[in-house]
Order: sequence, then structure tokens, then C-alpha cells
Amino acid sequence: MSEAVAGRYFFPGTTRFVAARAVADGDILRVEDESGTVLAHVALELVEISPRLGTLRRRFTFMDAGCFETEDSDAADCLLMGKRKGVSAHHLERSWQWAAVSVLFAAAAMFAFVVYGIPGIALWLAQETPPSFAATLSEQTLATLDRTVLKPSALPSPDRLRAEALFARAAGHGRSGSGQYKLLLRSAASLGPNALALPDGTIVMTDQLWPFVKADDEAIGVFAHEIAHVDHAHSLQAVYQAALVPAAIAVVTGDISQISQMAAILPGVLIQAAYSRGLEQQADDDAAMTVRQLGGNTARMADLLERLDTKLCGKAGCPANWLGTHPQTAARAARLRSAGTK
Amino acid sequence: MDDIVVRPLSPAGDKQLHHFEFRGSGGEFFRIWIVNIALSLVTLGIYSAWAKVRTRRYFYGNTFVAGHGFDYHASPVRILIGRIIALALFGVYNLLLRISPYALLPAMILLGAAIPWLIVSSRRFNARNTSYRNVRFNFSGTYGGAFQAYIAWPLAGALTLGGLMPLAHRAQDYYYINNHAFGGKRFATVFPGWSIYKVYLLALLLFLGLVVGTLAFLLLLSPFADSAGGFGAGVSFVGMIAILIIMPGWLIIVNYVRAAGLVLALENTALDNRHTLQSEIEPGSLVWIMTSNVFLILITFGLFYPWARVRAAHYMADHLSLLAASNLDEFTSETFATQGAIGEEIAGFFDYDIGL
Repeated sequence: MSEAVAGRYFFPGTTRFVAARAVADGDILRVEDESGTVLAHVALELVEISPRLGTLRRRFTFMDAGCFETEDSDAADCLLMGKRKGVSAHHLERSWQWAAVSVLFAAAAMFAFVVYGIPGIALWLAQETPPSFAATLSEQTLATLDRTVLKPSALPSPDRLRAEALFARAAGHGRSGSGQYKLLLRSAASLGPNALALPDGTIVMTDQLWPFVKADDEAIGVFAHEIAHVDHAHSLQAVYQAALVPAAIAVVTGDISQISQMAAILPGVLIQAAYSRGLEQQADDDAAMTVRQLGGNTARMADLLERLDTKLCGKAGCPANWLGTHPQTAARAARLRSAGTK
Repeated sequence: MDDIVVRPLSPAGDKQLHHFEFRGSGGEFFRIWIVNIALSLVTLGIYSAWAKVRTRRYFYGNTFVAGHGFDYHASPVRILIGRIIALALFGVYNLLLRISPYALLPAMILLGAAIPWLIVSSRRFNARNTSYRNVRFNFSGTYGGAFQAYIAWPLAGALTLGGLMPLAHRAQDYYYINNHAFGGKRFATVFPGWSIYKVYLLALLLFLGLVVGTLAFLLLLSPFADSAGGFGAGVSFVGMIAILIIMPGWLIIVNYVRAAGLVLALENTALDNRHTLQSEIEPGSLVWIMTSNVFLILITFGLFYPWARVRAAHYMADHLSLLAASNLDEFTSETFATQGAIGEEIAGFFDYDIGL
């Protein structure tokens, strides 16, 4: 017979209780009150015992909905000696060393998942996405943009012809062959000088960008940059990345409470902005290669970027920005210039 | 424990005041929390169901009133099954919304129809898996009731440009509290409409202050006007500053409405018309705790999270008491079937997991 464990016994299905003690007698658990009256007499294997957690009391629930509770978790474990084996999470949770190991492991795992996991999964999903899907997505996005921010282009026809000729040269170096890309000219005051790529190969350039373009290589650079976005399915990757980030945060934090959700917004935005900068750099690198293959000068692309930057933020240029969807202009320009000298 | 003393039956009319108490500690919960995360990562998320149960058990089990703690009994396996289904649905929903703007309407209608069901099943799952002194809680709200409180009322609030929103808030509190029962005895809360209007009026004033402040800031910085996306550099310097003002401001307002509404509902709550709750919770203090918690979590890269939760639990328990009309011996369990956790988990993913 084991030592008696002190606690209290709750009568089946009620809030009524008495001070009691539990004793293990072989495979039988006996609960009796202070006067020795037996309250429960049950085979240990039929008792549901709550796992150890912190300094929390242990609960022994019987099949008749009566239950025995004790604050003495060590004594409760002795009572069960040899009956319930197995590693319990409590062994890890009680030790600060394991907590430290867990912090390091969790940090490393999350870092790896954010840096390699999510972009990798997003890339794989983007490659597996059927082209018909990309086409539908592009049509609907364009329809929405046309309804909201885009207006028909007002570029004079010589400019338009020149833009289309330069676009054709850039498209010739696209992965899917020149027939797969299409240039659309639109006016968009709210977007300013800009160009954007849709997953099906449609590339939109705003009229507002054209006055900034001083050399052919600059326009080719812009088009090649957008074509690279199409070739690498960047917009699909961004869609999948954006869907994966909150899902990953939800899985890790588990119990989604208001606090963790609010605190997760900023890191989520920062991570997505960092992914976007990675994709932009890849597009810049591809564009530099196209310009070089066409015998052009990649420094021209850097000139255009700097001209746009000055327009936006003045002579000093725009400040470094963790929320930015593009790398800092000075860094992009330097990378493009050095690409030309290789 | 000293509290394990059988109190003699108090004579009728002799009410006894019991303070709530939270006995958990930040350091202890930190170890539980970080081991939970590590094990969830090692098992690719599978352990997260066990982690959820351990976390809930820790908070419920360490919350005491009248010498006894609460218990949480949910089965991790059921939660895991619910979680897998919820994750799949969440992924599909998220993708649909991003892929096609036209999917938005059908998705919203579908989710709208599902919300009342999610609320009922999540509330019921949690109530039935919570006990105090060996007796379970129960939730008996219906789909129709949830539809009224969470769809019809907010719709009425929106159609009246927010004019009825405070009453919608109250309808949700009523639905939540008045459908809960302990040992077959009902909880009930009643409070006058003007008291909740007062809360929203103050929130509105705070919001106007925030809007004016942000606009003033943006006007000052307008020379740095920005543009983002496409080939041009995405300069959202001004946007970043706006976020730095708007996010904490909005957080404070949302937390204020939650805290003040919670206080209002709690201090008017009675069990079986005779045991009443008494609250000394100050909405201002609660807002301070919630808002500073978010800030501390951010600057510690999340490591403060366990202390943040323990801190909030301590504050709540320390300012809440139960004025009991008896020694609480009279409650006996209702019989009901246990149920799956699918609704609870979906509700969790779609952010309808609002408890008290």
C-alpha cells in the first residue's frame, strides 16, 4: 500500500466536496474521508488522471463523475508509480535549460521557415499553378484596375510606336518568347510614373512614366524588369506568400488571442515587404542581363531610377525603409551599374 | 492549502464576498509556452492542439474563487481534427479572396451564413469543457440567437451609420452571458442602453482626435508624398509614419471599447439571480495593460508574450469578486453530450474566438 495523498473528493456531478485522502492498494485506488469512510474504490486503469502542468493541482476523475483533487503533484505521481509511464511535457517545461534550448530552436526554426520555407513553398505553388488560372487572375485584376485607377492612354502615336518597338526588343529575351508578352499603355495619375506586370504576360506602363525615359536602354530596362516578374511568376508567388504568412503565425502562436494578433500585424507586414524586395532584386538582375545581351548600358537603368527617386523625395533621395516593397534606390542603382561592368 | 476547509452552510441572506485570484506566474508560463512552441515546430504543428489545451488548463486552473480553481477538459485529439479542417478552409478562403475579386461576395455570404454556427459551436465547446468544483458550464445559445446578435444587429448598426452599434454590442454580450449556465443555473446580465452609448461616445471622441492628429501630421509631411509598386521605388515613408500613429491609436480605442463593455457586462452579471459578480476593473487600467503589452511583445521579439498574458490575468482576477448567496454547494451537473471541436477551431482561425 502506498502513502496516503491528501486532497478533496467531489461527489459525483456536484459541487459538494469533503476533505479526503487517496491510497493506492495494488491496482486499486481508494479514496476515503477523514473518518475512514470509503468514498471511491476503483481500478487505477479506469481513472482519468490530468497530466502534470506547472504547480497545478492534479485531478483524478472516476467513471461515476466523482473526482479527487490534490495539490500534491509529487505524491500523486508516487501513487501512480509504475502505472502510467511515458515522457511528459512537464519534464521539459519545469527546466529553464530546456526553455533556453526551446527559445534558440524556435528562433532558428522560424528564421529558416521565413527565409527559406515560405518563399520555397510559394515558388513551388506558383510553378504548379495552371496557366489558365494565371490568365483568369490577370483578366480580373486588369478589369478592376481599369475600373478604378487606370484611364486610356493619351500618349501621342510616335511615342506609342517607339515604346512598342522597344518592348518588342525586350520581349525577345523573355523566357516564353516574344509572342507571350503584351504591352498596354494607360494613364494613371494616382499611380504616377510606374509599370506593372500581370501573371499572364500583360505589362502595363503608365503615361506618367514616359517623360522620365531619356534613353532607349532605360525603357528596355523597365520592360525587361516587368517581363522578369512574369517569367518568375512573381505576382503568384506574392499571392501565396501573403496567404502563408498569417497562416504560419497562426499555427505557431496556436491560441490566437487578441494580443498576439495585434502584435503579429507589424512583423507580418515587414516579412512580406522583405519578400517583395527579394523578388524586385531578382527582376532587376534579369533586366540587367537582357539589357547587356542587347548591347545596352545597364547604368542607364540606374539613371532612370535615380531620376524617379529625385522626383519623389527630392535631391537627397528617399530614406531607407523597412516597409518598402522595393529595395532602396541607391542600392538598386549601384547593383545595376556594377552589373554593366561584369 | 488553507482554503481546503469545508465552510459551514451560511444562513439564508448572509452573503459572502469571495475575491478572484490568479495564481499563475510569468516565469512558469514562459517555460510552458516556449516548450509548446518548440514541440509544435518539431511536430510540424501537430502538437499545437496539445499546446492549446495545456495553455487553457494553465489559465483556467490557476484562476481561483472561493478556494477552488477552474478546470479545462478539452481533448487535444478533437482539437487537432478541428484544426486540420479549419486550416484547409482558411487556406482556400484566403486564396479565393486574393485570386478573384468576384469570389469576394459569395465567400462573404457563405462565411456570413457560417458565422452564427461557428459562434454557437465554439461557445458550446468551450463552456462544456470548462468546470468549477467538478461541475461543468454549459452554453445553450441557438443559431437564430447568434444570427440576431452577430449578423442582424451589426447590420442594423451599419445601416444607421453606427447609431445602433452600441445596442449591437449589448445584444452580443447578452447573447454570450445569458446563454451560459453553471450546473443548470443560468447566468444573466442586464444593463441600460445609455450606459453602453456612453462608452461608444467616448470612443468616438477618441477616434475624432486620432483622425485630426493623423491628418495634421500628413499635411505637415505632404512634400514627401509617395507612390509604391511596379518599377518605381516604393517609398512609403509617410505611410510608415501614419501607421506609427494610427496603429497604437486604433489599438487604444478598440481596447477601450472592449474593456469598458466587459466591465459593464461583468458587474451586472448574476448566477441563478442570487450570486453576483462585483468588478473593480478600471477600463483605463485594462487599456493600459493591453496596449503596453503589445508594445512590450514587439520590442522583445515576442518573448514577453507569456508575461503579458499572466499580467492581464492577474489584473482581471485581482479586480473581480463573487458575492455568493450560499456556500455554492447546491450545483449539480447537467447531462449533455460532448461534441467535436471543428466549429471552435474554424472560429479561432476566422477570429471569432472572443471570450470573456
